[in-house]
Amino acid sequence: MNARAKGRGGWSWANLYLIAVFVILYAPILYLVYYSFNAGGTMHGYDGFTLEWYGEVFSDTRLLIIVLNTFVIALFSSAISTALGVVGALAIHKVRRLQAKNALLSLNNVLIVNPDVVIGASFLILFTMIGLKLGFGSVLVSHIAFSVPIVVLMVLPKLQEMNATLIDAARDLGASGWQVLSKVVLPFIKPGIFAGFFMALTYSLDDFAVTFFVTGNGFSTLSVEIYSRARQGVSLSINALSTLLFLFTILLVIGYYLINRRSGKITEAGARP
Amino acid sequence: MKTNSRNLYLIPYAAWIALFVVAPIVLIVYYSFRDIEGNWSLSNYAHFFTPVYMRMTLSSFWYALLITLFSLLVAYPTAYLLTKAKHKQLWLLLIILPSWVNLLLKAYAFIGLFGTYGFANAFLESVGLGRQQILFTDFSFVFVSVYIFIPFMLLPIFNSLEELNPTLIQAARDLGASPWTTFRRVVFPLTIDGVKSGCQAVFIPALSLFMITRLIAGNRVITLGTAIEQHFLVTQDWGMGATIAVFLVIVMAVIMAVTGRRRRGARG
Amino acid sequence: MTDSTIIRFDKVTLQYDGDDAVLSDVSFEIEHGKFYTLLGPSGCGKTTILRLIAGFIQPTQGDIYLSGRRINDVPANKRQVNTVFQDYALFPHLNVYENVAFGLRIKKMKQAAIDAKVKEALRFVNLTGYENREIREMSGGQRQRVAIARAIVNEPEVLLLDEPLSALDLKLRTEMQVELRELQRRLGITFIFVTHDQEEALAMSDEIFVLNQGRIEQSGTPTDIYDEPINRFVADFIGESNILPAVMVRDYLVEFAGREFECVDGGFHPGENVEIVIRPEDLEITAPGEGKLKIRVDSLLFRGVHYEIVGSDEDGNRWLVHSTRKAKVGDEIGLDFEPEAIHIMRFGESEEDFDKRIEEFTEVGDED
Repeated sequence: MNARAKGRGGWSWANLYLIAVFVILYAPILYLVYYSFNAGGTMHGYDGFTLEWYGEVFSDTRLLIIVLNTFVIALFSSAISTALGVVGALAIHKVRRLQAKNALLSLNNVLIVNPDVVIGASFLILFTMIGLKLGFGSVLVSHIAFSVPIVVLMVLPKLQEMNATLIDAARDLGASGWQVLSKVVLPFIKPGIFAGFFMALTYSLDDFAVTFFVTGNGFSTLSVEIYSRARQGVSLSINALSTLLFLFTILLVIGYYLINRRSGKITEAGARP
Repeated sequence: MKTNSRNLYLIPYAAWIALFVVAPIVLIVYYSFRDIEGNWSLSNYAHFFTPVYMRMTLSSFWYALLITLFSLLVAYPTAYLLTKAKHKQLWLLLIILPSWVNLLLKAYAFIGLFGTYGFANAFLESVGLGRQQILFTDFSFVFVSVYIFIPFMLLPIFNSLEELNPTLIQAARDLGASPWTTFRRVVFPLTIDGVKSGCQAVFIPALSLFMITRLIAGNRVITLGTAIEQHFLVTQDWGMGATIAVFLVIVMAVIMAVTGRRRRGARG
Repeated sequence: MTDSTIIRFDKVTLQYDGDDAVLSDVSFEIEHGKFYTLLGPSGCGKTTILRLIAGFIQPTQGDIYLSGRRINDVPANKRQVNTVFQDYALFPHLNVYENVAFGLRIKKMKQAAIDAKVKEALRFVNLTGYENREIREMSGGQRQRVAIARAIVNEPEVLLLDEPLSALDLKLRTEMQVELRELQRRLGITFIFVTHDQEEALAMSDEIFVLNQGRIEQSGTPTDIYDEPINRFVADFIGESNILPAVMVRDYLVEFAGREFECVDGGFHPGENVEIVIRPEDLEITAPGEGKLKIRVDSLLFRGVHYEIVGSDEDGNRWLVHSTRKAKVGDEIGLDFEPEAIHIMRFGESEEDFDKRIEEFTEVGDED
């Protein structure tokens, strides 16, 4: 009786704590959204409802081009890095010697654990050395580069999950090497490939530090643009833009959730920087 | 096995490793030995070990340590309560969702929240504490950083708590352990791997933050990350920037090696 | 080599660098249209033989022939054999129909032909109507049938079955034994079945190969192997038995447990040391003093169809008896047996010599 009452009390304290964490996590985002409708033009003192800032976002051609750039970079880089990452995962999976496998995995993870600033700085040196002009190309290449290991990490568990006898079975039924890959292996690891593509997409959309180093003068992505505008102070068109981006993020997450629903694990997706 | 065809997949993948993993690190090391005129020299390293940089390194470590510690203090109970919650997958999704929102936007939001007339000051005023300078202080820097890193600390801890076999807790209780003893002697030791990888996921990036220091701490806090950005993009002293980067890579490698090996040992 | 030979192993050895040979110098022939079983404990090389036939691995030495053609270098996807895997290896992303149709689609067969063949194969394994089911919706026994249908739809000359029944429960396993045997008769193709279960092997096979440590110990029909095991390993592995050291006084007279007994085996040196096997069901309980042996009952277990009695004679030899008659622990009982019940095993005899000697010297034919 006593224990039960105590248990129920504990439950409500627990919920209170969770709600508090939850509120703090969402407060800044909702704050942004709220003031994006503020006619007053600042992030304090609500002066009435307006859609003016949204209008400003949609009439700002420079901003729209940057949004377009960001998405083009994200789509291209995640498509290419997904292809490369799948090949990489297959390569690692095929290596039999444990030492070689671990060595490859460690090299793979360098770009994941390396601080963004170091990646950005070292890519800047690399591109300058090989003479790649800073701009669209350099940003695209660096986004591909840092997305590959994420795709590898998303695909590799699926490959390990796959029973080796499935490949034997396919060969036994007459499949050639290419047919084994296209008819058995790739369909089997498809969820991993999708997850990898999705992660690469969000890594690219959100990247700031690496892009900031390799972007040069003429070219910009959203993160870099928001940074330079935020340094100049509050502008509610950024709020409007954030609201739109937040909605878009929610859509992406819902999409990802639906793709992954079968495995029922969001934890696999992980948080992202 | 004899039937194995050659591993052709390795060719493009190895090319990627060579170009984007090995080459950049080699180049960074190379540049760290060049002075500003492009001659071979150890001057960058000599410079790095002067009090100015040592103080900066120490304060970077200090801030990273604080950020990691506070993230852990908030994230562990949250993760623990999450595993007990009814709709834990939904809760987890809700807690992770903000981490998918562009980092820049969240930092920008805090400029508004912590601003002179922002919500935080309005709140302080209403409880009678009066307006304070919040933005551009150590407090705001650590607070915003912890805010951003909580999900990275939370996830590995949550996963290791989920992996924990619940009968172990029942066994501990059965053997007479109090809830607190059960936590201290059974739950925490068994989730230490999650804590370690969480700390790893927070400490290394926290050491090299530069965007938050610029936007929230307003150059009051200079971390190693800020210094690298400064050298590469402002003063164009790539050699000095590369030297700090080399230092960060070494620190990262050491942290990875230490936590990695211990984890393997604990499992074996 | 006869016309009906479909697979021939010629001194096949398989060895990985530095390790003991997985298979050493194995030669055998497999005929068309029979049910073969490769029987042995785990690690004896039985699955290796199957994988060599399927083409997943290549021999280090020796040659493998399929229908008279050397196939050492023919890749798995070009061989006219199909496999039913131990874990079934059904493709989880394809439904039942597409799993069965997989091999036909690889061959680029026309849709109408695929349809007809898949339907027929599913009918063969009693799965008509399950075409659109997902694999995860099927039970263990049903998956087993899908795996068989997927293999036989390609009309292989040889079907390889790698412990396909090991994941099923006892009742289903017995049912599937009957069905598999029946299926093999209807298809009229060669089945090569791998198992470590001797009862399964005895029940299903036309011919059994008993393997141990990468060698074939003995091959023959189930009755041959059960009644006339070549050595202690085979006798022990196939069923329970009483194995005792003995001395051949002369042909047809053997001495063990301190007494001389008439037997039906010949071709030995007088005074040669041998081992004898008597199956527990060949021992009959009599009143003490009436039988050929006297033992004291040490334990008694009721096994349903019979009692399992363990006793020991005056020399301390342990005797296992299967009898429908009960005995009391501590009692003395007599044991009686026919001369045919004693089977004599020569130490280190090769299978060839063994067969020759049995043919030449065994007195009683098949009339019992």
